[in-house]
Amino acid sequence: MSSPLLSIQNLSVQFRVDTGWVTAIDDVSLDLAAGECVGLVGESGSGKSVTALSILRLHERTTTRISSGLILYQGQDLLRAPGSAMRRIRGSEIAMIFQDPMSSLNPVLTIADQMSETLRQHQGLAGAAARKRVVELLGLVRIPDAARRADDYPHHLSGGMRQRVMIAMAIACKPRLLIADEPTTALDVTIQAQIMELLRDLRRELSMSVMLISHDLGVIAEFAQRVIVMYAGRVVEGAPVAQLFRRPVHPYTMGLIAAVPKLDSEASRLATIPGRIPGPQEVIRGCRFSPRCTLARDCCLAEQPSMQLVSDHQSARCPPRILALSEGHG
Amino acid sequence: MTDVGLGSLAAAEIAAPRRHGTLRRLLRHRSFMIGFSIILLLTLAAVLAPLISPIDPSAMKVRLRFRPPSSAFWFGTDMFGRDVFTRVLYGARISLFVGFSVCVVSGLCSAIIGVIAAQFRRLDGAIMRLMDALMSFPAILLALGIAAALGPRVSSVVIALTVAYIPAGVRIVRAAALTVREMDYVQAAQVSGASSLRIVIRHILPNCFSSLLVHLTFIFAYAMLAEAALSFIGVGIQPPIASWGNIIAEGRDYATEAWWVMLFPGIAISLAALSLNLLGDALGDMLDPRQKGGA
Repeated sequence: MSSPLLSIQNLSVQFRVDTGWVTAIDDVSLDLAAGECVGLVGESGSGKSVTALSILRLHERTTTRISSGLILYQGQDLLRAPGSAMRRIRGSEIAMIFQDPMSSLNPVLTIADQMSETLRQHQGLAGAAARKRVVELLGLVRIPDAARRADDYPHHLSGGMRQRVMIAMAIACKPRLLIADEPTTALDVTIQAQIMELLRDLRRELSMSVMLISHDLGVIAEFAQRVIVMYAGRVVEGAPVAQLFRRPVHPYTMGLIAAVPKLDSEASRLATIPGRIPGPQEVIRGCRFSPRCTLARDCCLAEQPSMQLVSDHQSARCPPRILALSEGHG
Repeated sequence: MTDVGLGSLAAAEIAAPRRHGTLRRLLRHRSFMIGFSIILLLTLAAVLAPLISPIDPSAMKVRLRFRPPSSAFWFGTDMFGRDVFTRVLYGARISLFVGFSVCVVSGLCSAIIGVIAAQFRRLDGAIMRLMDALMSFPAILLALGIAAALGPRVSSVVIALTVAYIPAGVRIVRAAALTVREMDYVQAAQVSGASSLRIVIRHILPNCFSSLLVHLTFIFAYAMLAEAALSFIGVGIQPPIASWGNIIAEGRDYATEAWWVMLFPGIAISLAALSLNLLGDALGDMLDPRQKGGA
């Protein structure tokens, strides 16, 4: 494999709490090839967003520290890059869109003004040239009547429209990597489908890599090529999307997939994983999923399992003995 | 590259009836219009004072002292035979100037200090304790001290009142900035590569502006009242320059014989304070996002 566009290696991030530092994500590694779309899945609190924010170094410096790891973007370690280099990368190389389009736009600036900010920053565009590009970008994200919409304030637009504006801002400088942090969670289902379709088309047109963060397995299944499953701050499984859905190996992934409601199912109750995700301050010996795992044995409690290669492209953080058991289940 | 078919599909997402201008909403707001008209009238009176009343405000005509209000002297005359109407007009210049400059200068300073406190968390403690220390003095007492130390000049009144009103403004801006800096759009601006300074100027300050603006209309009124009080005590604007405060101060010894000398500048002060309060309340209503409604 050629060297990846983005490579996160053994990243650990800690948050400050009253009693000291707790580990929010631990030993997270993942690669993202140019043009690839990787889905990052997990429950709330599993560390998906923390991972994403680390890439752009957006954590509050006083309450967060990156205790170990490397984040290599085209071979450059972002964690040790100077501030000016980081500002250049943000927006022009790596862009990000957020979950809540209602609060991601500054209420006192018109759409054109906000979008011009990025253009001014990275491409030195201003005035009529910037405006022309803004209208072009709004058209690109299929906002009808773009020239008129450009002068609107955010509160004139619906949630779906605002998310389109956010996407337009994100792709303004043709970034190589787009991080989409739950881009459709705050939108209703029909708009979700439109936004995902838009993202898919843009990805193809601009040949961007996309890191899609979601807890919606349906969205991931349709959009991503490879999936990373996170649980309680750790990567528990990584596999190409078809393989993950057809043959998940980690007990947590199996639970997740079993919990997806099926229209043709006769069952009156949805399948669930008993228990809840532990907080970062909870001390759990061994595997952090073991308290909820139906397959857990003594070996799971003894020590933190490491990532095991299951096949060429699939790996899981589970002791080989249990993996053998789970394959029997699957 | 735009796909026309999909474009029209997306049209369904658009909410937004066309905008109602903020301006139009303000024009329909009754207390805003009342306040605005009064303050506009007072400002015009101050600016056009020499045209409205061609008399010299300091010209003494001892034969004409203590004339009650009449068609010749609308507000009567004082103990030196000076026309009170003319003096109130010229006094408006000083009072409004002091009010306006205190409002602008303390507004600027509070915005800068408040944002620094909110952005540079290490300085926050020091800055806010200093503000607390200033706030622990009653504003008028602090202003009295500073004005007395600087000497009786218009500029020292402005400086004294500015210092006295900065702490409250700083608190307001800091509180607003602390909220705004956590907003997603600030993070979105960071993501797009904006520098901290750019974020402060483009995103944080404008979003703190509405709460500061409301506060400043009240500061305008307070500063005018405080100028009157300082001049009344004698550390403010010195005679023979007329300010509303020192007209009242000079008239107080003759309050029983010549009530008009105190009454009219008093009414002017009350009117100005009232209109600014109406303006402030109206702006507060308008800028409260919960009241924006509609769109």
